Amino acid sequence: MALRRQSVILGLLLAPVTLFLGVFFLLPLLIIAVFSVLSPGLYGGVEWTFYHWNYGRIFGWADGIMEIYEPIYLQILVRSLSFAALTVLLTLALCYPVAFWVSRLPDRWRLVFLFLITLPFFSSLIVRLYAWLLILKPTGLLNTSLLALGVISEPLELLYTPTAVVLGMVYVMVPFMFLPLYAAVDNLDRAQVEASLDLGATRAQTFAKVILPQTLPGIMGGAVIVFIPSVGNFVVPDVLGGAKGLMIGNLVEQQFLSARNWPFGSALSMIIMAVVLTVLLVSVTRARKAGGHA
Amino acid sequence: MRNPAGWAALTGFSLAFFAFIYAPLFVIVGYSFNANPVNMMIWEGFTLDWYTGLFGLSDRATDVGNRAAYVESTDQMIAALKTSLTVALFTTTISTVIGTATAIALARYRFRARGVYNGFLMLPMMMPDIVLGIGLLIFFVTLGMNLSLLTIIIGHCTFLTSYVFIIVQARIAGIDPALEEASADLGASEWTTLRKVLLPQLAPGILGGALLAFVISMDDLVITYFVSGTGDTTLPVFIFGMIRRGVKPEINAIATLLILASVVIAALGLWLRSRKTD
Repeated sequence: MALRRQSVILGLLLAPVTLFLGVFFLLPLLIIAVFSVLSPGLYGGVEWTFYHWNYGRIFGWADGIMEIYEPIYLQILVRSLSFAALTVLLTLALCYPVAFWVSRLPDRWRLVFLFLITLPFFSSLIVRLYAWLLILKPTGLLNTSLLALGVISEPLELLYTPTAVVLGMVYVMVPFMFLPLYAAVDNLDRAQVEASLDLGATRAQTFAKVILPQTLPGIMGGAVIVFIPSVGNFVVPDVLGGAKGLMIGNLVEQQFLSARNWPFGSALSMIIMAVVLTVLLVSVTRARKAGGHA
Repeated sequence: MRNPAGWAALTGFSLAFFAFIYAPLFVIVGYSFNANPVNMMIWEGFTLDWYTGLFGLSDRATDVGNRAAYVESTDQMIAALKTSLTVALFTTTISTVIGTATAIALARYRFRARGVYNGFLMLPMMMPDIVLGIGLLIFFVTLGMNLSLLTIIIGHCTFLTSYVFIIVQARIAGIDPALEEASADLGASEWTTLRKVLLPQLAPGILGGALLAFVISMDDLVITYFVSGTGDTTLPVFIFGMIRRGVKPEINAIATLLILASVVIAALGLWLRSRKTD
């Protein structure tokens, strides 16, 4: 049955998605690409002339008259990449042991903890971030408690720091790392682990030669799913980060909603898009090579 | 586990992990009942004032300062909730129809562009929301469209269609095509087979996809932030604005209600899933 003749019905089933995503997904992305090489208009908007200085401002070939090269943009790009990478590493370090623990629990408890890890998917992102604002404020829970306990004598500078941004990203991304990791850990062939230990391999060797290779697809999957939304994130740095926590997403937002330089904002978005597509391409090719299929 | 001490350490680490996930939520709930309006972190006794204040029932706001500001924000919050529900309702319907149709087409027909569609449908989910948000913003403004409820609904559907597609596709994969073949062999038309044989079996998957779409639509902040006009604010954008303007005790009450709603919805989802496996 798998082979049905192509029919009118196939056309009817595919037309909505083709039209909708063609017009409202592909076209907007294309427009960003076009806008990124146009010159900014005087009062927002664009002039329809070719203008590569938008990229020059970021990567360093500005003429110094029309646009000035500022190294700050590259610094913010590097910061965004490193915050996202740090978020991947930290969520991985947190989730890997817990995924093992949950997979070894008796059935009933395993379901309880799996439910607990999926619950944040259903709760509001902005509410979860706001909780950290309450905790990290100078008059927040953490400072008030530490002061009361006499651990510190004056409030620590916790909010509006790079640490706060990474903490917030780790907090909102943890469930995204956990689920693919858990799937991989749960599929682990325990007989192989036992065999490795029985045959005299140390725990470290067993981990490196048996457990790690088998769970690698889950690690890679989680890493991609966490890295991509982290690198373009603007809500977490907006709520928890100060000037030192600014990320490329914040720059884009500023260009569109306050500076009103749409072409420059588009050029910055193109960089986010390029990073994301590169990560996706690399991960898909890797997965193909490793598994023989996508 | 061969090593009891190792297992104990792992258990400790894991419980700490779950405490890390849940403690911040309990902090909000706790402080939503705190009577202290100035420093929310100093406990001054139990109150329901922030909840009654949300619905314009409390005089408490007069103690704190500008009562007018509070009343205004109450109206705005209710309006934002209405906008969110309206958007989510339309978005869920549209993305469920398109996503389901796409899933059926890709699972039950063989055609040349099938692989392209399969890959392409992943993109809206993987594209960072800020890129999609500003792309749509430029697109709507260039076309001369006013930012309104309609632009928010379109914005949500662009990525939610893919989520519904994934969920429904997973469900189809588990359905034996033999029943559809029997239906076709017995003379039912393609359309009848689709409607009377495939769709009823797909219903739980479609419902699951719709539920997911609804939840994500209700929670979307970034896309909505860029494509909403001044008149139409959804609840997450409203809360985002409130947080940016400075923390007010009412936010704790709203946030607590949202946490409660999410627990109910998650439990509902769990119940649906357990019925599916019966």
